[in-house]
Amino acid sequence: MDAPSFLTAQLIVNIVVILIVVHLLLGLAGYSTYGERKISAYIQDRIGPNRVGFDLGLPFLKFLRGLLGLGQPLADGLKFMLKEDYMPRGADKALFTLAPMVVAIPALIGFAVIPWGGTLSLPETITIPLLNWTIPGGDVVIAGANISVGIIYLLAVGSMAIYGITLAGWASNNKYAFLGALRASAQMISYEIPMGLCILTVLLMVGSLLPEKIIGYQVAHGWLVLAHPVAAVVFFICILAESNRTPFDNAECEQELVAGFHTEYSSMRYALFPLSEYIHMAVGSAFFTLLFLGGYHLPLGFIADQHLLHPENTSILAVLVKFGVFLGKAVGGVLTMMLVRWTIPRLKFDQVMQVGWQGLIPISLVVVVMTAVMVFYEKTTWPWMLAANALLTLVLLGLLPILPRATSNKKVRLAGSRFYPLEGERVRTAPTSAAAIEDRPSQGTVAV
Amino acid sequence: MIEVVLADGAVSSYIPVMLLLTMAVTFGAFNVIASRLIGPRRDGGTKGQTYESGMAPIGTARKRFNVRFYLIAMVFLVFDIEIIFLYPWATTFPNLDPGSTNAQVWLFRILFFMATTVVAYIYGLRKGVFRFD
Repeated sequence: MDAPSFLTAQLIVNIVVILIVVHLLLGLAGYSTYGERKISAYIQDRIGPNRVGFDLGLPFLKFLRGLLGLGQPLADGLKFMLKEDYMPRGADKALFTLAPMVVAIPALIGFAVIPWGGTLSLPETITIPLLNWTIPGGDVVIAGANISVGIIYLLAVGSMAIYGITLAGWASNNKYAFLGALRASAQMISYEIPMGLCILTVLLMVGSLLPEKIIGYQVAHGWLVLAHPVAAVVFFICILAESNRTPFDNAECEQELVAGFHTEYSSMRYALFPLSEYIHMAVGSAFFTLLFLGGYHLPLGFIADQHLLHPENTSILAVLVKFGVFLGKAVGGVLTMMLVRWTIPRLKFDQVMQVGWQGLIPISLVVVVMTAVMVFYEKTTWPWMLAANALLTLVLLGLLPILPRATSNKKVRLAGSRFYPLEGERVRTAPTSAAAIEDRPSQGTVAV
Repeated sequence: MIEVVLADGAVSSYIPVMLLLTMAVTFGAFNVIASRLIGPRRDGGTKGQTYESGMAPIGTARKRFNVRFYLIAMVFLVFDIEIIFLYPWATTFPNLDPGSTNAQVWLFRILFFMATTVVAYIYGLRKGVFRFD
Protein backbone atom coordinates (compact mmCIF):
# COMPACT_ATOMS: atom_id res chain seq x y z
CA MET A 1 0.00 0.00 0.00
CA ASP A 2 1.27 3.46 -0.87
CA ALA A 3 1.69 6.26 1.60
CA PRO A 4 -0.24 9.49 0.94
CA SER A 5 1.90 11.85 -1.10
CA PHE A 6 2.05 14.64 1.49
CA LEU A 7 3.46 12.28 4.13
CA THR A 8 7.20 12.81 4.31
CA ALA A 9 9.78 12.13 6.95
CA GLN A 10 9.96 15.90 7.51
CA LEU A 11 6.26 16.08 8.32
CA ILE A 12 6.48 13.24 10.82
CA VAL A 13 9.49 14.82 12.52
CA ASN A 14 7.66 18.17 12.59
CA ILE A 15 4.67 16.65 14.34
CA VAL A 16 6.83 14.81 16.87
CA VAL A 17 8.74 18.02 17.63
CA ILE A 18 5.50 19.98 18.01
CA LEU A 19 4.04 17.43 20.42
CA ILE A 20 7.21 17.45 22.52
CA VAL A 21 7.85 21.19 22.51
CA VAL A 22 4.27 22.29 23.24
CA HIS A 23 4.21 20.22 26.40
CA LEU A 24 7.73 21.25 27.28
CA LEU A 25 6.81 24.92 26.91
CA LEU A 26 3.66 24.58 29.00
CA GLY A 27 5.63 22.81 31.71
CA LEU A 28 8.36 25.40 31.46
CA ALA A 29 5.80 28.20 31.78
CA GLY A 30 4.34 26.55 34.87
CA TYR A 31 7.72 26.13 36.48
CA SER A 32 8.73 29.65 35.45
CA THR A 33 6.23 30.93 38.01
CA TYR A 34 7.93 28.71 40.57
CA GLY A 35 11.38 29.86 39.46
CA GLU A 36 10.31 33.48 39.54
CA ARG A 37 9.06 33.14 43.11
CA LYS A 38 12.18 31.30 44.21
CA ILE A 39 14.49 33.85 42.59
CA SER A 40 12.61 36.78 44.07
CA ALA A 41 12.71 35.02 47.41
CA TYR A 42 16.48 34.59 47.29
CA ILE A 43 16.94 38.20 46.20
CA GLN A 44 14.74 39.44 49.05
CA ASP A 45 16.26 37.03 51.60
CA ARG A 46 13.15 34.89 51.96
CA ILE A 47 12.62 31.17 51.38
CA GLY A 48 9.86 31.17 48.79
CA PRO A 49 7.46 28.29 48.09
CA ASN A 50 8.64 25.25 50.02
CA ARG A 51 5.55 23.42 51.24
CA VAL A 52 3.56 21.95 48.39
CA GLY A 53 4.78 18.55 47.26
CA PHE A 54 2.99 15.90 45.28
CA ASP A 55 1.32 14.03 48.14
CA LEU A 56 -2.17 15.38 47.27
CA GLY A 57 -3.04 15.17 50.96
CA LEU A 58 -2.99 11.38 50.94
CA PRO A 59 -1.28 9.67 53.92
CA PHE A 60 0.34 6.88 51.89
CA LEU A 61 2.04 9.44 49.62
CA LYS A 62 3.67 11.12 52.59
CA PHE A 63 7.16 10.68 51.18
CA LEU A 64 6.24 13.10 48.35
CA ARG A 65 5.48 15.94 50.75
CA GLY A 66 7.65 19.05 50.71
CA LEU A 67 10.15 18.55 47.89
CA LEU A 68 11.21 22.24 47.84
CA GLY A 69 7.66 23.26 46.97
CA LEU A 70 7.89 21.77 43.50
CA GLY A 71 4.18 20.97 43.51
CA GLN A 72 3.27 24.66 43.73
CA PRO A 73 2.63 25.29 39.99
CA LEU A 74 0.37 22.24 39.83
CA ALA A 75 -1.58 23.40 42.87
CA ASP A 76 -1.86 26.92 41.42
CA GLY A 77 -3.16 25.57 38.15
CA LEU A 78 -5.79 23.45 39.89
CA LYS A 79 -6.80 26.39 42.04
CA PHE A 80 -7.30 28.56 38.97
CA MET A 81 -9.51 25.88 37.51
CA LEU A 82 -11.71 25.73 40.62
CA LYS A 83 -12.19 29.45 41.07
CA GLU A 84 -15.24 31.34 39.92
CA ASP A 85 -15.03 32.62 36.37
CA TYR A 86 -16.68 36.00 36.74
CA MET A 87 -17.59 38.61 34.17
CA PRO A 88 -18.57 42.11 35.31
CA ARG A 89 -21.78 43.70 34.12
CA GLY A 90 -21.39 45.84 31.05
CA ALA A 91 -18.51 43.78 29.72
CA ASP A 92 -18.61 42.71 26.10
CA LYS A 93 -19.34 39.00 26.56
CA ALA A 94 -17.86 37.64 23.33
CA LEU A 95 -14.70 39.75 23.35
CA PHE A 96 -14.16 39.23 27.08
CA THR A 97 -14.07 35.47 26.53
CA LEU A 98 -12.12 35.68 23.31
CA ALA A 99 -9.34 37.97 24.58
CA PRO A 100 -7.39 35.48 26.74
CA MET A 101 -7.47 32.96 23.93
CA VAL A 102 -6.24 35.55 21.44
CA VAL A 103 -3.32 36.17 23.79
CA ALA A 104 -2.57 32.50 24.43
CA ILE A 105 -2.80 31.16 20.88
CA PRO A 106 -0.01 33.26 19.27
CA ALA A 107 2.20 32.59 22.28
CA LEU A 108 1.75 28.86 21.79
CA ILE A 109 2.27 28.72 18.04
CA GLY A 110 5.23 31.10 17.88
CA PHE A 111 7.98 28.55 18.45
CA ALA A 112 7.14 26.49 15.35
CA VAL A 113 10.01 27.66 13.15
CA ILE A 114 12.76 27.47 15.76
CA PRO A 115 15.20 24.70 14.74
CA TRP A 116 15.77 23.17 18.15
CA GLY A 117 18.04 20.37 17.09
CA GLY A 118 19.47 21.31 13.71
CA THR A 119 19.50 18.68 10.99
CA LEU A 120 18.87 14.98 11.48
CA SER A 121 20.09 12.40 8.99
CA LEU A 122 17.63 9.62 8.33
CA PRO A 123 18.06 6.62 6.03
CA GLU A 124 17.05 7.16 2.39
CA THR A 125 13.82 5.22 2.71
CA ILE A 126 11.87 4.60 5.86
CA THR A 127 9.27 1.89 6.31
CA ILE A 128 6.55 2.61 8.78
CA PRO A 129 5.72 -0.51 10.79
CA LEU A 130 2.16 -1.88 10.84
CA LEU A 131 1.00 0.19 7.85
CA ASN A 132 3.89 -1.01 5.69
CA TRP A 133 4.26 2.38 4.03
CA THR A 134 7.58 3.41 2.56
CA ILE A 135 8.37 7.09 2.61
CA PRO A 136 11.46 8.98 1.46
CA GLY A 137 13.89 9.90 4.24
CA GLY A 138 17.06 11.92 3.95
CA ASP A 139 17.98 15.04 5.92
CA VAL A 140 15.23 16.63 7.97
CA VAL A 141 15.15 19.74 10.13
CA ILE A 142 14.24 19.32 13.80
CA ALA A 143 11.70 22.15 13.94
CA GLY A 144 7.99 22.50 14.47
CA ALA A 145 7.47 23.56 10.88
CA ASN A 146 9.99 23.80 8.06
CA ILE A 147 8.47 26.78 6.26
CA SER A 148 10.27 29.08 3.88
CA VAL A 149 9.30 32.40 5.50
CA GLY A 150 11.09 31.42 8.72
CA ILE A 151 11.85 34.51 10.76
CA ILE A 152 8.94 36.50 9.32
CA TYR A 153 6.54 33.92 10.76
CA LEU A 154 7.98 34.48 14.22
CA LEU A 155 7.66 38.24 13.86
CA ALA A 156 4.12 38.06 12.54
CA VAL A 157 2.86 35.67 15.20
CA GLY A 158 4.73 37.42 17.99
CA SER A 159 2.98 40.72 17.37
CA MET A 160 -0.52 39.22 17.39
CA ALA A 161 -0.71 39.17 21.20
CA ILE A 162 -1.36 42.93 21.08
CA TYR A 163 -4.86 42.25 19.78
CA GLY A 164 -5.69 40.07 22.75
CA ILE A 165 -4.43 42.60 25.27
CA THR A 166 -6.27 45.49 23.62
CA LEU A 167 -9.46 43.43 23.42
CA ALA A 168 -9.15 42.40 27.06
CA GLY A 169 -8.86 45.98 28.19
CA TRP A 170 -11.65 47.20 25.96
CA ALA A 171 -14.09 44.41 26.77
CA SER A 172 -13.68 44.69 30.56
CA ASN A 173 -15.55 48.00 30.77
CA ASN A 174 -13.09 49.05 33.44
CA LYS A 175 -11.17 52.30 33.26
CA TYR A 176 -7.97 50.84 34.69
CA ALA A 177 -8.12 47.95 32.26
CA PHE A 178 -8.75 50.28 29.36
CA LEU A 179 -5.80 52.51 30.23
CA GLY A 180 -3.58 49.48 30.74
CA ALA A 181 -4.56 48.08 27.36
CA LEU A 182 -3.87 51.39 25.64
CA ARG A 183 -0.47 51.63 27.24
CA ALA A 184 0.34 48.02 26.41
CA SER A 185 -0.59 48.38 22.77
CA ALA A 186 1.33 51.66 22.39
CA GLN A 187 4.38 50.13 24.06
CA MET A 188 4.30 46.88 22.13
CA ILE A 189 3.94 48.47 18.70
CA SER A 190 6.70 50.93 19.57
CA TYR A 191 9.18 48.23 20.53
CA GLU A 192 8.33 46.11 17.53
CA ILE A 193 10.18 48.56 15.27
CA PRO A 194 13.65 48.32 16.88
CA MET A 195 13.08 44.57 17.18
CA GLY A 196 12.47 44.28 13.44
CA LEU A 197 15.49 46.46 12.70
CA CYS A 198 17.74 44.30 14.89
CA ILE A 199 16.59 41.20 13.01
CA LEU A 200 17.45 43.06 9.80
CA THR A 201 21.06 43.43 10.91
CA VAL A 202 21.25 39.65 11.33
CA LEU A 203 19.60 39.03 7.96
CA LEU A 204 22.08 41.41 6.32
CA MET A 205 24.92 39.23 7.54
CA VAL A 206 23.31 35.88 6.74
CA GLY A 207 21.33 36.68 3.60
CA SER A 208 18.55 34.21 4.31
CA LEU A 209 15.31 34.03 6.27
CA LEU A 210 15.74 30.37 7.18
CA PRO A 211 16.52 29.84 10.88
CA GLU A 212 18.69 26.85 9.98
CA LYS A 213 20.89 29.03 7.79
CA ILE A 214 21.21 31.67 10.49
CA ILE A 215 22.57 29.06 12.89
CA GLY A 216 24.74 27.57 10.14
CA TYR A 217 26.27 31.01 9.54
CA GLN A 218 27.04 31.36 13.24
CA VAL A 219 28.62 27.91 13.38
CA ALA A 220 30.90 28.89 10.51
CA HIS A 221 31.65 32.54 11.37
CA GLY A 222 31.23 32.85 15.13
CA TRP A 223 28.20 33.89 17.17
CA LEU A 224 26.48 37.03 15.98
CA VAL A 225 26.50 38.53 19.47
CA LEU A 226 30.20 39.17 18.79
CA ALA A 227 29.49 40.85 15.46
CA HIS A 228 26.41 42.75 16.67
CA PRO A 229 26.67 43.50 20.40
CA VAL A 230 24.64 46.71 20.10
CA ALA A 231 21.85 45.02 18.15
CA ALA A 232 21.85 42.12 20.62
CA VAL A 233 21.36 44.43 23.59
CA VAL A 234 18.63 46.40 21.82
CA PHE A 235 16.92 43.15 20.84
CA PHE A 236 16.97 41.84 24.40
CA ILE A 237 15.43 45.09 25.67
CA CYS A 238 12.74 44.74 22.99
CA ILE A 239 11.90 41.19 24.09
CA LEU A 240 11.42 42.47 27.63
CA ALA A 241 9.11 45.20 26.36
CA GLU A 242 7.21 42.88 24.02
CA SER A 243 6.42 40.40 26.76
CA ASN A 244 5.42 43.26 29.11
CA ARG A 245 8.12 42.43 31.62
CA THR A 246 9.65 44.74 34.16
CA PRO A 247 11.13 47.34 33.63
CA PHE A 248 8.47 47.76 30.93
CA ASP A 249 5.37 46.40 32.68
CA ASN A 250 3.46 49.67 32.61
CA ALA A 251 0.44 47.85 31.27
CA GLU A 252 -0.08 46.22 34.65
CA CYS A 253 1.68 48.43 37.14
CA GLU A 254 -0.02 47.97 40.47
CA GLN A 255 0.50 51.44 41.86
CA GLU A 256 -1.27 53.20 39.02
CA LEU A 257 -3.55 50.76 37.26
CA VAL A 258 -4.42 48.03 39.80
CA ALA A 259 -3.66 45.07 37.51
CA GLY A 260 -3.94 46.76 34.13
CA PHE A 261 -5.73 45.02 31.31
CA HIS A 262 -6.58 41.91 33.34
CA THR A 263 -8.08 43.70 36.33
CA GLU A 264 -11.52 42.17 35.79
CA TYR A 265 -10.34 38.68 34.91
CA SER A 266 -10.49 35.72 37.24
CA SER A 267 -10.09 31.97 37.18
CA MET A 268 -8.57 30.26 34.13
CA ARG A 269 -9.37 33.19 31.87
CA TYR A 270 -6.97 35.20 34.00
CA ALA A 271 -4.41 32.40 34.17
CA LEU A 272 -4.01 32.41 30.41
CA PHE A 273 -2.48 35.92 30.58
CA PRO A 274 0.50 35.15 32.86
CA LEU A 275 0.86 31.76 31.19
CA SER A 276 1.24 33.33 27.78
CA GLU A 277 3.56 35.95 29.24
CA TYR A 278 5.90 33.21 30.41
CA ILE A 279 5.63 31.33 27.10
CA HIS A 280 6.31 34.61 25.33
CA MET A 281 9.45 35.02 27.43
CA ALA A 282 10.63 31.50 26.65
CA VAL A 283 9.98 31.85 22.92
CA GLY A 284 11.51 35.33 22.93
CA SER A 285 14.72 34.12 24.52
CA ALA A 286 14.79 31.12 22.17
CA PHE A 287 14.52 33.67 19.36
CA PHE A 288 17.38 35.64 20.90
CA THR A 289 19.43 32.44 21.17
CA LEU A 290 18.70 31.65 17.53
CA LEU A 291 19.72 35.08 16.26
CA PHE A 292 22.64 36.01 18.47
CA LEU A 293 23.80 33.11 20.64
CA GLY A 294 24.43 30.55 17.94
CA GLY A 295 21.37 28.38 18.56
CA TYR A 296 22.41 24.82 19.37
CA HIS A 297 26.09 25.55 18.72
CA LEU A 298 28.64 25.03 21.45
CA PRO A 299 31.84 27.01 20.84
CA LEU A 300 34.14 23.99 21.12
CA GLY A 301 36.42 24.21 18.10
CA PHE A 302 38.79 21.49 19.22
CA ILE A 303 36.53 18.43 19.13
CA ALA A 304 36.75 15.83 16.40
CA ASP A 305 34.35 15.65 13.47
CA GLN A 306 32.36 12.65 14.60
CA HIS A 307 32.20 13.65 18.26
CA LEU A 308 28.76 13.90 19.84
CA LEU A 309 29.15 17.63 20.46
CA HIS A 310 30.32 18.51 16.97
CA PRO A 311 27.81 20.77 15.13
CA GLU A 312 27.97 18.70 11.96
CA ASN A 313 27.17 15.45 13.66
CA THR A 314 23.59 14.66 12.64
CA SER A 315 22.94 11.39 14.45
CA ILE A 316 19.90 11.13 16.68
CA LEU A 317 21.96 11.38 19.89
CA ALA A 318 23.77 14.48 18.67
CA VAL A 319 20.41 16.04 17.81
CA LEU A 320 19.18 15.40 21.34
CA VAL A 321 22.32 17.05 22.72
CA LYS A 322 21.75 20.05 20.44
CA PHE A 323 18.16 20.25 21.61
CA GLY A 324 19.38 20.32 25.20
CA VAL A 325 21.94 23.02 24.45
CA PHE A 326 19.36 25.20 22.68
CA LEU A 327 16.86 24.77 25.49
CA GLY A 328 19.52 25.45 28.09
CA LYS A 329 20.43 28.74 26.43
CA ALA A 330 16.77 29.72 26.17
CA VAL A 331 16.15 28.92 29.85
CA GLY A 332 19.23 30.94 30.72
CA GLY A 333 17.65 33.87 28.89
CA VAL A 334 14.42 33.46 30.85
CA LEU A 335 16.34 33.39 34.14
CA THR A 336 18.15 36.58 33.11
CA MET A 337 14.81 38.24 32.48
CA MET A 338 13.69 37.21 35.97
CA LEU A 339 16.86 38.66 37.50
CA VAL A 340 16.19 41.87 35.57
CA ARG A 341 12.66 41.97 36.93
CA TRP A 342 13.75 41.77 40.54
CA THR A 343 16.68 44.15 40.10
CA ILE A 344 15.57 47.10 37.98
CA PRO A 345 12.64 49.31 38.95
CA ARG A 346 9.88 50.08 36.47
CA LEU A 347 10.18 52.99 34.06
CA LYS A 348 7.50 55.64 33.88
CA PHE A 349 5.32 55.38 30.80
CA ASP A 350 6.64 58.55 29.17
CA GLN A 351 10.15 57.24 29.79
CA VAL A 352 9.25 53.94 28.15
CA MET A 353 8.10 55.75 25.02
CA GLN A 354 11.14 58.00 25.14
CA VAL A 355 13.54 55.06 25.35
CA GLY A 356 11.76 53.36 22.48
CA TRP A 357 11.25 56.20 20.04
CA GLN A 358 14.16 58.48 20.81
CA GLY A 359 16.68 55.86 21.87
CA LEU A 360 16.31 52.39 20.44
CA ILE A 361 14.81 53.24 17.04
CA PRO A 362 17.53 55.72 15.96
CA ILE A 363 20.25 53.43 17.34
CA SER A 364 18.97 50.36 15.52
CA LEU A 365 18.47 52.34 12.28
CA VAL A 366 22.09 53.48 12.45
CA VAL A 367 23.21 49.91 13.15
CA VAL A 368 21.32 48.69 10.06
CA VAL A 369 22.96 51.33 7.87
CA MET A 370 26.36 50.50 9.33
CA THR A 371 25.85 46.79 8.67
CA ALA A 372 24.78 47.47 5.09
CA VAL A 373 27.94 49.53 4.49
CA MET A 374 30.13 46.85 6.09
CA VAL A 375 28.50 44.18 3.94
CA PHE A 376 29.13 46.35 0.87
CA TYR A 377 32.83 46.58 1.69
CA GLU A 378 32.91 42.87 2.58
CA LYS A 379 34.15 43.43 6.12
CA THR A 380 31.70 41.13 7.87
CA THR A 381 34.05 39.06 10.03
CA TRP A 382 33.35 39.59 13.69
CA PRO A 383 36.49 41.56 14.62
CA TRP A 384 35.63 44.14 11.94
CA MET A 385 32.00 44.29 13.03
CA LEU A 386 33.02 44.56 16.68
CA ALA A 387 35.32 47.46 15.85
CA ALA A 388 32.54 49.13 13.85
CA ASN A 389 30.13 48.67 16.76
CA ALA A 390 32.63 50.17 19.19
CA LEU A 391 33.17 53.14 16.88
CA LEU A 392 29.42 53.58 16.50
CA THR A 393 28.92 53.51 20.26
CA LEU A 394 31.63 56.13 20.75
CA VAL A 395 30.14 58.38 18.05
CA LEU A 396 26.65 58.06 19.55
CA LEU A 397 27.94 58.82 23.03
CA GLY A 398 29.77 61.83 21.64
CA LEU A 399 26.65 63.06 19.87
CA LEU A 400 24.45 62.57 22.95
CA PRO A 401 24.95 66.04 24.49
CA ILE A 402 23.96 67.89 21.29
CA LEU A 403 20.91 65.77 20.39
CA PRO A 404 17.47 67.27 21.01
CA ARG A 405 16.11 66.28 24.36
CA ALA A 406 12.63 65.82 25.61
CA THR A 407 11.81 68.38 28.24
CA SER A 408 9.97 66.06 30.59
CA ASN A 409 10.42 66.10 34.35
CA LYS A 410 11.28 69.77 34.45
CA LYS A 411 11.18 70.94 38.01
CA VAL A 412 8.26 73.30 38.50
CA ARG A 413 9.20 76.16 40.74
CA LEU A 414 6.90 76.65 43.64
CA ALA A 415 7.05 80.37 44.20
CA GLY A 416 7.20 81.33 47.83
CA SER A 417 8.55 77.99 49.02
CA ARG A 418 11.78 77.78 50.96
CA PHE A 419 13.68 76.78 47.82
CA TYR A 420 12.29 79.57 45.60
CA PRO A 421 11.51 82.43 47.97
CA LEU A 422 9.72 85.50 46.74
CA GLU A 423 11.79 88.54 45.96
CA GLY A 424 12.92 90.37 49.04
CA GLU A 425 11.92 87.51 51.30
CA ARG A 426 14.51 86.00 53.59
CA VAL A 427 14.28 82.36 54.42
CA ARG A 428 15.71 80.75 57.51
CA THR A 429 16.29 77.08 56.95
CA ALA A 430 17.55 76.27 60.44
CA PRO A 431 14.90 74.64 62.64
CA THR A 432 13.08 77.02 64.94
CA SER A 433 10.76 74.73 66.81
CA ALA A 434 11.96 73.75 70.26
CA ALA A 435 10.96 70.14 69.74
CA ALA A 436 12.98 69.89 66.55
CA ILE A 437 16.04 71.41 68.16
CA GLU A 438 15.77 69.09 71.09
CA ASP A 439 15.38 66.14 68.75
CA ARG A 440 18.57 66.84 66.80
CA PRO A 441 20.67 69.11 69.00
CA SER A 442 23.87 68.64 67.03
CA GLN A 443 22.34 70.14 63.88
CA GLY A 444 20.06 72.71 65.41
CA THR A 445 21.21 76.27 65.64
CA VAL A 446 19.90 78.62 68.22
CA ALA A 447 16.82 80.44 67.07
CA VAL A 448 16.97 84.19 67.00
CA MET B 1 29.44 24.30 6.40
CA ILE B 2 26.23 22.59 7.42
CA GLU B 3 24.02 21.28 4.65
CA VAL B 4 20.71 23.08 4.87
CA VAL B 5 17.48 21.39 4.00
CA LEU B 6 15.68 23.99 1.94
CA ALA B 7 12.03 24.51 2.63
CA ASP B 8 10.28 24.34 -0.69
CA GLY B 9 7.55 26.82 0.16
CA ALA B 10 4.91 24.25 -0.65
CA VAL B 11 1.55 24.44 1.06
CA SER B 12 2.16 21.03 2.60
CA SER B 13 4.94 22.50 4.74
CA TYR B 14 2.24 24.45 6.58
CA ILE B 15 0.43 21.30 7.75
CA PRO B 16 2.33 21.30 11.08
CA VAL B 17 1.42 24.96 11.61
CA MET B 18 -2.23 24.10 11.13
CA LEU B 19 -1.89 21.24 13.61
CA LEU B 20 -0.23 23.53 16.11
CA LEU B 21 -2.94 26.14 15.63
CA THR B 22 -5.61 23.53 16.28
CA MET B 23 -3.83 22.42 19.43
CA ALA B 24 -3.49 26.01 20.67
CA VAL B 25 -7.14 26.82 19.99
CA THR B 26 -8.21 23.63 21.75
CA PHE B 27 -6.01 24.43 24.72
CA GLY B 28 -7.42 27.93 25.07
CA ALA B 29 -11.02 26.89 24.59
CA PHE B 30 -10.68 23.91 26.94
CA ASN B 31 -9.28 26.02 29.77
CA VAL B 32 -11.90 28.73 29.44
CA ILE B 33 -14.81 26.29 29.16
CA ALA B 34 -13.57 23.89 31.84
CA SER B 35 -13.17 26.55 34.49
CA ARG B 36 -16.62 27.86 33.58
CA LEU B 37 -18.08 24.40 34.14
CA ILE B 38 -16.11 23.43 37.24
CA GLY B 39 -15.97 26.71 39.14
CA PRO B 40 -18.75 28.06 41.35
CA ARG B 41 -21.15 30.69 40.03
CA ARG B 42 -22.67 33.15 42.44
CA ASP B 43 -23.95 36.46 41.24
CA GLY B 44 -24.68 39.40 43.46
CA GLY B 45 -25.72 43.03 43.39
CA THR B 46 -22.52 44.98 43.80
CA LYS B 47 -20.38 42.07 42.67
CA GLY B 48 -21.11 42.87 39.06
CA GLN B 49 -19.64 46.33 39.33
CA THR B 50 -16.29 46.94 37.74
CA TYR B 51 -13.43 47.67 40.12
CA GLU B 52 -12.77 51.32 40.73
CA SER B 53 -10.80 51.29 43.96
CA GLY B 54 -13.89 50.47 45.96
CA MET B 55 -15.94 53.45 44.80
CA ALA B 56 -19.15 53.10 42.84
CA PRO B 57 -18.04 53.20 39.22
CA ILE B 58 -18.78 56.46 37.43
CA GLY B 59 -20.11 56.06 33.93
CA THR B 60 -18.71 53.67 31.39
CA ALA B 61 -15.11 52.99 30.47
CA ARG B 62 -15.71 53.42 26.76
CA LYS B 63 -14.54 56.99 26.71
CA ARG B 64 -12.48 59.17 24.49
CA PHE B 65 -8.78 58.84 25.18
CA ASN B 66 -5.59 60.74 24.60
CA VAL B 67 -4.91 61.43 20.93
CA ARG B 68 -1.23 60.61 21.42
CA PHE B 69 -1.98 56.91 21.20
CA TYR B 70 -3.45 57.53 17.76
CA LEU B 71 -0.37 59.48 16.67
CA ILE B 72 1.91 56.69 17.86
CA ALA B 73 -0.14 54.21 15.84
CA MET B 74 0.21 56.37 12.73
CA VAL B 75 3.99 56.70 13.08
CA PHE B 76 4.22 53.00 13.80
CA LEU B 77 2.55 52.26 10.47
CA VAL B 78 5.15 54.35 8.65
CA PHE B 79 8.03 52.52 10.28
CA ASP B 80 6.52 49.05 10.16
CA ILE B 81 5.89 49.29 6.44
CA GLU B 82 9.39 50.59 5.94
CA ILE B 83 10.78 47.54 7.75
CA ILE B 84 8.61 45.17 5.74
CA PHE B 85 10.07 46.68 2.57
CA LEU B 86 13.56 46.31 3.98
CA TYR B 87 13.24 42.55 4.59
CA PRO B 88 13.43 41.39 0.96
CA TRP B 89 16.30 43.79 0.41
CA ALA B 90 18.17 42.50 3.47
CA THR B 91 17.91 38.89 2.37
CA THR B 92 19.09 39.67 -1.20
CA PHE B 93 21.73 42.34 -0.64
CA PRO B 94 24.43 40.15 0.99
CA ASN B 95 24.08 37.65 -1.85
CA LEU B 96 25.14 40.26 -4.41
CA ASP B 97 28.78 40.72 -5.36
CA PRO B 98 30.18 43.00 -2.64
CA GLY B 99 31.59 46.21 -4.06
CA SER B 100 30.08 45.74 -7.52
CA THR B 101 28.14 48.47 -9.31
CA ASN B 102 24.97 46.47 -8.87
CA ALA B 103 25.45 46.30 -5.10
CA GLN B 104 26.23 50.02 -5.06
CA VAL B 105 22.93 50.81 -6.76
CA TRP B 106 21.06 48.57 -4.29
CA LEU B 107 22.77 50.17 -1.32
CA PHE B 108 22.18 53.78 -2.31
CA ARG B 109 18.59 53.24 -3.34
CA ILE B 110 17.76 51.70 0.01
CA LEU B 111 19.67 54.42 1.85
CA PHE B 112 17.56 57.00 0.01
CA PHE B 113 14.44 55.06 0.99
CA MET B 114 15.54 55.06 4.62
CA ALA B 115 16.31 58.77 4.42
CA THR B 116 12.69 59.49 3.48
CA THR B 117 11.60 57.73 6.67
CA VAL B 118 14.16 59.67 8.67
CA VAL B 119 12.53 62.86 7.38
CA ALA B 120 9.19 61.59 8.67
CA TYR B 121 10.83 60.70 11.97
CA ILE B 122 12.35 64.16 12.39
CA TYR B 123 9.01 65.75 11.55
CA GLY B 124 7.34 63.62 14.21
CA LEU B 125 10.04 64.43 16.71
CA ARG B 126 9.67 68.17 16.07
CA LYS B 127 5.90 67.94 16.38
CA GLY B 128 6.30 66.19 19.73
CA VAL B 129 4.67 62.91 18.74
CA PHE B 130 7.14 60.90 20.81
CA ARG B 131 6.68 62.95 23.95
CA PHE B 132 4.31 61.39 26.42
CA ASP B 133 4.65 63.68 29.39
